[in-house]
Amino acid sequence: MTVSVRHRRPVRVRRRRRVVDVLGTIGLVGSILRWVSLTLLAPAAVAVYYGESVRPYLISLAIAFAAGYLLERLTPSADEVGIREGFLLVTVAWLAAAAMGALPYLLSANPQLHHPVDAYFESMSGFTTTGASVLTDIEALPKSLLFWRSLTQWLGGMGIVVLAMAILPRLSVGGQQLMDVESPGPEAEKLTPRIAETARRLWILYVALSIAEVTALCAVGYGGLAHGMNLFEATTHTFGTMSTGGFSSRARSVEEFGAEAQWIITAFMLIASLNFALMFRSLRRPALLPRDEETRFFLLLVIVASTIVALEIGSYGRYDVGDAIRHAAFQVASIVSTTGFASTDFALWTPLPLLILIVLMFAGGCSGSTAGAIKAMRVLLLNKVLRRELVLTVHPQAVVPIRLNGRVVNDRTLRAIVGFVLIYVVAFVIGTVLILIDASRGTHPVGAFEAISAAATTLGNVGPGVGFLGPMGSFDPFSTPSKLVMIALMWIGRLEVIPVMIVLSRTYWRP
Amino acid sequence: MVVIGAGQVGSRIVEHLHTDHSVTVVDADADRMRTLTADFDVLTVIGDGASRRTLLEAGVAAADLTITCTQRDEVNIVAALFAKRLSGGLTAVRVSNTEYLEVWRGGDLDFDLMVSPPLETANAVTQLTGVPAARQTDMFADGRVQMVEFDIPADHARDSVVGVPLKEAGLPHDCKVASIIRPDGVIIPRGDDVILPGDRIVVIGSPESARSWSSLVEGRPTIDSVVIIGGGRIGATVAAQLAKNGVNVRVIESRHARAQHVAETLPDVRVLHGDGTNPDFLRRENIGHSDAVVCALPSDAENLMAAALAHTLEVALTIGIVTRASSARLFEQAGVDVALNPRTVTAEEIIRFTRDPRTLAVAFLEDDRAEVLEIEVRPTSPLIDVPFRELPITDSIIGAIIRNGAVIFPHGDDRLAGGDRVVLFTKTLRVESVEEAL
Repeated sequence: MTVSVRHRRPVRVRRRRRVVDVLGTIGLVGSILRWVSLTLLAPAAVAVYYGESVRPYLISLAIAFAAGYLLERLTPSADEVGIREGFLLVTVAWLAAAAMGALPYLLSANPQLHHPVDAYFESMSGFTTTGASVLTDIEALPKSLLFWRSLTQWLGGMGIVVLAMAILPRLSVGGQQLMDVESPGPEAEKLTPRIAETARRLWILYVALSIAEVTALCAVGYGGLAHGMNLFEATTHTFGTMSTGGFSSRARSVEEFGAEAQWIITAFMLIASLNFALMFRSLRRPALLPRDEETRFFLLLVIVASTIVALEIGSYGRYDVGDAIRHAAFQVASIVSTTGFASTDFALWTPLPLLILIVLMFAGGCSGSTAGAIKAMRVLLLNKVLRRELVLTVHPQAVVPIRLNGRVVNDRTLRAIVGFVLIYVVAFVIGTVLILIDASRGTHPVGAFEAISAAATTLGNVGPGVGFLGPMGSFDPFSTPSKLVMIALMWIGRLEVIPVMIVLSRTYWRP
Repeated sequence: MVVIGAGQVGSRIVEHLHTDHSVTVVDADADRMRTLTADFDVLTVIGDGASRRTLLEAGVAAADLTITCTQRDEVNIVAALFAKRLSGGLTAVRVSNTEYLEVWRGGDLDFDLMVSPPLETANAVTQLTGVPAARQTDMFADGRVQMVEFDIPADHARDSVVGVPLKEAGLPHDCKVASIIRPDGVIIPRGDDVILPGDRIVVIGSPESARSWSSLVEGRPTIDSVVIIGGGRIGATVAAQLAKNGVNVRVIESRHARAQHVAETLPDVRVLHGDGTNPDFLRRENIGHSDAVVCALPSDAENLMAAALAHTLEVALTIGIVTRASSARLFEQAGVDVALNPRTVTAEEIIRFTRDPRTLAVAFLEDDRAEVLEIEVRPTSPLIDVPFRELPITDSIIGAIIRNGAVIFPHGDDRLAGGDRVVLFTKTLRVESVEEAL
């Protein structure tokens, strides 16, 4: 059959809209940058107080604000933030934020971070709450710069996009996806029907907990129980703790502060690695938290690991019983929460506790916390998936749903989790191999154990590794290419691998 | 008396009640009604049970009791709501979905009795499998309270329970020894009384405690693992109840989506997706090693096959769920140990209710010399708010309280409240005075 078309209208080929609204997204990154750049006023204020130069911060502020403003003005405004734009927005926003954070290091009078890669490394390490440092003489830096270094962690801890969402109404549409992309864990929980309100509540809780820690640390500091602890140290270390970052303004991390301050920090590191949304809801129903399966699993992990480490390091004869327990609990909490503080130089420990710490680098805190790495929930569910495989081998026809907190977890989520863990491990292996290849060409000797710990610690946003990159050491000896690899690992790790993989995939850019 | 729905349940109820009561039957199926009027002396109204006009025509407004037992839960509930509103008389409702039952237990549906065939079946299966050592057993409060009568063997050694004053004995949780029966009489035991070898005892408690008692008394292995073939509504309800009582349950279901659903709703049950009438599959899953098999497939023919297969695999106890009344005998002839008809069980429960509406359930013991009743406490009862330790000592004892849908196994400090339902043991001679006092 033929159809004769007599009055055929000419088909107008309209210009195809891009699959991903790149320009609009970059414009949004610009507005985020413009707002986040205002945080540079804080180190400027600290500089004024300590009589240090405010120039680096004001110039950085001007550059970042102008760049943000220009990006915003020169691009068409985005119609809406869809799923695809969300991935691009978050991945690019983190790169931009880290770039902004590097400016004060470059402009500072202290030359330690004048190499751009070093400055970017330090800044990325800050925003991603890693806490790995290329500094060799931390205490030589001006107080205001140390403050900025800690502040970047605190900002990155809860997430800069979540922060922006709490302020910018433009981001609220499609904000659920944004939060999913940025927040650690399988999926973000909405606390309220409005996403911006959820973001605001999470930030309020974060701020409240931070104030609590500063108060507690000041109390022991001014009470004479912690050597050298004052408001400045309390604030920077709180930034490092609550964000699970781990930058310390002291060369010897928190070693000098003594037992009381270290126990406070241990407690807050663990609090920071609990699910914030769950904590918020348990304000009203306190039974929720101890009944949560993930929380229980996480705390069990901490207790078991601390016990083993305490028994092992107790046998050295160097620590008495109280010290062994304190150092074991502190280090385990520090690593599993992906903070990276150290109450003692654990790089000097024997292989067994070190191995436990490296394994813990992969575990991480609870989902929805500020901690990095794989997260307790994924480890827990992966364990359940594996156990189910055992059951299915015996009963091939069994139907075995997997539950978490009594609720059935659907297979799609489980597949995503297995996929995540796999990709995470692949990223870790590739990172290790790249660092090792580069090390074989370099001048500074890098052992396999050190390379493994470097990849694991940066990908998991932990901070210190073992060997020369231990908690009292520095990442400075690494070559520039290795540092770039680690910058990428930190970035990938903070965004939980998948968003970066998606943006780099081919299907992402096709309709 | 009006009966809405003339299916198996309705017919059976009519069969039992038509001689003593004037019964009107409502059903939409004219053929069914014709056979019914041929057999029994009843008035019939043809129409939709959920229609107000039909109900008025059937004389619901003047009925003392309206029983709604059509196949559909929603029709039954709507009809009963109308009936309650129009007559203010008693209403008995049949529902399949046990969720409605929970709503009713919670006090949000104003009916006098709600019976669910799956649940009644589950109760019957629990009774059959729960306490093999029992002389007699009965379920109350939707299967959450169980009465069990045991004989303590005459050669039973003294242990933590036998030969020790009750207040010092290591009794299972959530239960009460309601009575010790000796040739010289029925004792309502107090803390100082002692269970002796050769005694017969009556225990009221949770089904779980009944299982503990069973192994305590006989030392005989209880039925610990049950396979349910067919994960439909009845199979799932039976599985849920057995699993709650600590039995290891496996459910075999052939439809994948349904298997998934059962697995998701019942965390303690192992669900297998497969054909329950396939001998190879049953053998591979070691069905023969289970203590009992319940066949709950939708069709009687498949059920018979599954039950026969289970029998050949040497399962000790096979229970077949039948849908047609006539199938029951065939099942038993084929070697199935018990054939249960959910509709018959349901009808019997409703018939029992019609005999004495306030007493929701009753079990007779010792040739009717004693009974266990489930009865509602009037708001005006003089026993309300009196601590248990101060209640007058009579020939009866309260074993369990059902309050707002929750079961309480009372201790000395507990008190009764109006609207509670209690499961109590009493000598038959005292039944009337007990009913009066409550």
